[in-house]
Amino acid sequence: MNVPLATSELTSAPSGTGARASRVPYVLIAPGALWMFLFLVVPMAMMVYVSFWTQTTFKIEPVLTLKSWQTFFSSDTYLSALWTTLRIWLMVLLATLVVGYPTALFVGLFIKNKTLSTVLLVLCVIPFWTSFLIRVLAWRPMLGKEGAINIILQALHITSAPIDALLFTELSVVIGMTQIYCVFMVGPIAFMLGRIDPNVIEAARDLGASFGRIFRTIILPLSMPGVIVGAIFVSVMVLGEFATAAALSGRKVNMLGNIIVTQVGSLKWAFAAVVGVVLTVIMGVVVAAFLRIVDLKREL
Amino acid sequence: MQTTFIKPALGFYTALFLLFLYGPFVVLGILSFQTGPNGGPQFPIIEWSTYWYQDIFGLTPPSRIAPLPISESLTRSLVLAVMTMVVSTVLGVISAQAFRSRFKGSGVVFYLIVLGMMVPGVLVGLGLALVANSIGLDRAWWSTAFVLHVVYTFPFAFLVMLAIFNRFDASVEEAAWSLGVSPIKTFRKITFPLIFPGILSAMLFAFTLSYDEFSRTLFSSGRDLTLPLAIYGTFSIEIHPNIFAFGVLTTLFSFALLAVYAILMTLSIRRAKRFAIQEEA
Repeated sequence: MNVPLATSELTSAPSGTGARASRVPYVLIAPGALWMFLFLVVPMAMMVYVSFWTQTTFKIEPVLTLKSWQTFFSSDTYLSALWTTLRIWLMVLLATLVVGYPTALFVGLFIKNKTLSTVLLVLCVIPFWTSFLIRVLAWRPMLGKEGAINIILQALHITSAPIDALLFTELSVVIGMTQIYCVFMVGPIAFMLGRIDPNVIEAARDLGASFGRIFRTIILPLSMPGVIVGAIFVSVMVLGEFATAAALSGRKVNMLGNIIVTQVGSLKWAFAAVVGVVLTVIMGVVVAAFLRIVDLKREL
Repeated sequence: MQTTFIKPALGFYTALFLLFLYGPFVVLGILSFQTGPNGGPQFPIIEWSTYWYQDIFGLTPPSRIAPLPISESLTRSLVLAVMTMVVSTVLGVISAQAFRSRFKGSGVVFYLIVLGMMVPGVLVGLGLALVANSIGLDRAWWSTAFVLHVVYTFPFAFLVMLAIFNRFDASVEEAAWSLGVSPIKTFRKITFPLIFPGILSAMLFAFTLSYDEFSRTLFSSGRDLTLPLAIYGTFSIEIHPNIFAFGVLTTLFSFALLAVYAILMTLSIRRAKRFAIQEEA
């Protein structure tokens, strides 16, 4: 890289071309970094700050207090929303893993034909390109009392009367979220499985290992980074959810996200900020815990 | 051999999985052809009709069912998506370009950018609304919502471009410079065609993610609604099959976008191949 550089502002400038060029990366990164600082870091910091402000009926005042925090931890509504959030998160996380792993196994490991596995992955991703809200709404005619699932179950004489519990319950929220987010589990796992050297499995098989043993000692450990990445994606998205919970539970299931929306709606900004900080802390802990299980930097 | 049994079993499971992914859409599509205005959003289909599609375009006589409030919000969402697409693609390209050389603090900046796609919309939306309130700024879809859309889509554009530059052979650029080709011409003739597929992907990501973005927009858009907000507003009241018909149309729109992307991509790959053949000759 010993070519002199005519214009340092040129976007295709290579690096390390002397003292003048060493400033180039900073000039290039400045707009993006500044944007993220102003519109991501500052708002999050503001949220933490406002959670200590004084809430009056319709406004907030910058007088520092712990009152909103005390309200949160002494209110049954907020605490039950906290448990609901954690419960739904765990159920959806488990469901996406159980539903997604066998599919990833098939696509990533068993399909040898590259074109076919790409087609299958694209088929999994296509629903992602349609509107999120429409995807949520599509579950209503599926799960309702006169919905498709009840009709099929009755037509097959599996049930004699429609099941009420399918829609507007916690179950419907979990089903809806599992469908929406399982793609984020399938993708990373299939990616990791696709990188396993087939010779390793071949060797294990030649030495007489059963499929169960091969799965336990080779496939599962090597796919763990994919599971962790998928789990981080799913966790962060589910913990921050509110729209699916509201639309598929008839506003009966309230997650922390739903509490934030209601509080903002009634201009209780300080309470909303407290809930936001609690949610941020939970996410931070969850992501940090997942990153401790697998050292992603080394594995990827 | 055990695996001879496992493979078909997993294949069958994958088919069930795809049914689980697509089932709701199929049902939604079928019910969008329910008769109107008295047919409800459930089975059985009383009579097949395209009533609700006509309803969306305002072609049906007024009935007790209010039309979907989509016309103005659709324009807003499209304008917002184009604005977001342009800004995040430009930011993505120049930021990824910066990462082609190691610089101090690059690790921190990398995480800062990626954080934008990870932090849930409801949190940054709340944060930005608080900032806007405290400095007395009115929230609007083209200001506060726009900056948050870029915060969300810029990381996608950045990662796509980073992947492209990783596979990029810098010696081609250097060869052009050493042959005395001007930097601007080098960019136009060498760099840009090489990174064009990446730019196209970044644009597609940014446009579709912004067009569909809901949770970030909810607290940051103020009075005038974008399309997803208008759709969400109809959830709380009784739903009618017109929203199903609308869902089918938006899905078709997304597929049209994907098709345009695929065509442009094929064209650029074909052109690259033709160049390669010319050089060999």
